[in-house]
Amino acid sequence: MALTPKQQILAAARGQKLDKLPFGARIDVWYNYHSAHGTLPDKYKGWSQVDILRDQGAGVEVRFFAVTREEYRDMEVVETNDPPYITTEYRTPVGTVAKKEVFDTSEGPWIKYEMEKLFKSEKDYPVIKYVMEHTGAVANFEPYYKLREEVGEDGMVMTAAGGLWSPVQRVMREIIGYEQFFYELADRPARVEEMIEAVKDLERRKLRVGIECDLEIFNICANWSDDIQTPVFRKYFIPWFQEVSEFLHARGRLVMAHTDGEMRRLNRMFRETGIDIAEAITPAPQTLVSMKEFREQLGDGATIWGGIPSILFEPMYSDADFDAYIKNMFKEMAPGYRFIVGMGDNVPFDGDINRVGRVVELIDKYGRLPIQV
Amino acid sequence: MADISLLAQAIDRGDMEKAVALTRAAAASGANPKDIIAKGLQAGMASVGEKFSSGEYFLPDMLMAARALKAALEVLKPMLEKTGIPTIGRVVIGTVEGDMHDIGKNVVATFLSGNGFEVFDLGLNVPVQKFVDEVKDKKPDILGMSALLTTTMPVFSKVIKALEQGGLRSSVKVIVGGAPVTQDYANYIGADGYAHDGGRAVPECRKLLGK
Repeated sequence: MALTPKQQILAAARGQKLDKLPFGARIDVWYNYHSAHGTLPDKYKGWSQVDILRDQGAGVEVRFFAVTREEYRDMEVVETNDPPYITTEYRTPVGTVAKKEVFDTSEGPWIKYEMEKLFKSEKDYPVIKYVMEHTGAVANFEPYYKLREEVGEDGMVMTAAGGLWSPVQRVMREIIGYEQFFYELADRPARVEEMIEAVKDLERRKLRVGIECDLEIFNICANWSDDIQTPVFRKYFIPWFQEVSEFLHARGRLVMAHTDGEMRRLNRMFRETGIDIAEAITPAPQTLVSMKEFREQLGDGATIWGGIPSILFEPMYSDADFDAYIKNMFKEMAPGYRFIVGMGDNVPFDGDINRVGRVVELIDKYGRLPIQV
Repeated sequence: MADISLLAQAIDRGDMEKAVALTRAAAASGANPKDIIAKGLQAGMASVGEKFSSGEYFLPDMLMAARALKAALEVLKPMLEKTGIPTIGRVVIGTVEGDMHDIGKNVVATFLSGNGFEVFDLGLNVPVQKFVDEVKDKKPDILGMSALLTTTMPVFSKVIKALEQGGLRSSVKVIVGGAPVTQDYANYIGADGYAHDGGRAVPECRKLLGK
């Protein structure tokens, strides 16, 4: 009996040999934008993104942020809504810290950005440490199960036990801010490391709750790119990835990272992380790395999921350009094992949704495994 | 006479204390402040840019270098009060409307200012009209726009069209960048230049100005 799309994706992720390239397509940027603006194509008005992907004949990849949520104790958390801004204050016995976020609707109504970080100055270190230490993790399995039921055997719901970021990234991007993080790391390394450890402990608590959910693949880190400095990656990221991978592998789970950025300098270190799947791989022309280089640099032990840069869906590329790119990508990935065709990392809002179906046709024609060059 | 090449090395290594000390020493020995900037500070930043583009250096290396440069420039400020810091061109830069990402834009701004450009950073989520108004007001040689999202990339075109409608397009070179942006896309929308990263933005801007 033929494998379902979900079984195909999981088989490729586990390194099993298939007879055809699996395809897990992600369209939520396109879908959320057009749903929010009422501009879905007539045929798809009122459809879910899962049904649109089914209609295109593609395997489904949809996102659900995490199977746990944070719960606070021994502090007051006050949220003030002043559209489009939301200010959250954490009032603790050792002081108060606050962040200001804004929701961005350009990719749908669910992305928020910190306009003001939690960390403002050195005095905030003990307060943020207190917040992390007094944050617990509780199960949030039901919404995930509901979405998984909707997708069924047609694909995968990708999710995480905890944060979108790995702990160091959360400190770097969300709590301190990218530039300030590196200045702080240079000037006050011990304080930064203490904060990282507090966030790690919180993520460990989330993992212990999240492992009770029977998801097959855990996403443990999003949005890798070369702006994470190699020495920082080696010192702070890799040990964490190794610890989490070991924990999850021991419990029969697969480990994934959303590696959709410029990966020129991080690729070679991927092998040291223990992570099974490099997802949303985005090659040239959108980055400086070809698919062939990705394959060589990530090694045969990793499953690559991705390969179609989102810009290829833009109208500036003709169908002929698109087809030529896909065919060449298949050749570059020959023999094609441990490869799941997917987006790097999405279909843009002005992309042609029917190109998802084109990929399905091209896989049928040229994606039989092993690919012969 | 202080060895200005050591200052370039200190900038290259992001050593703020050494950069400040060497700048003080160079100034005390009577070196021309403009030489200190060109042969010491900017030479150091140029080296950082090359190493960043070749993959040897990372963004944090550039951040540390830029911080060292900024501290060294503070030392020279009193000496440059009358003449100002020499610049090779004016750049207005910002992240387009709807986009809240600024790391890449900040990096480009830092590289450009570290390499002798006068930079006016408009921040993030910059409305189309704000770009037009700033081009009118600041009369920059270059307008730099950044977008991280495929949903916000089309704003580049809107700004270019607004510049055309305002009769300003021929007065300014437009350069674009950001994670999803490619050279093909820059050509497609009629931008004058494209840079994949901060290191490449400097030579591209120099090229646009013929310098």
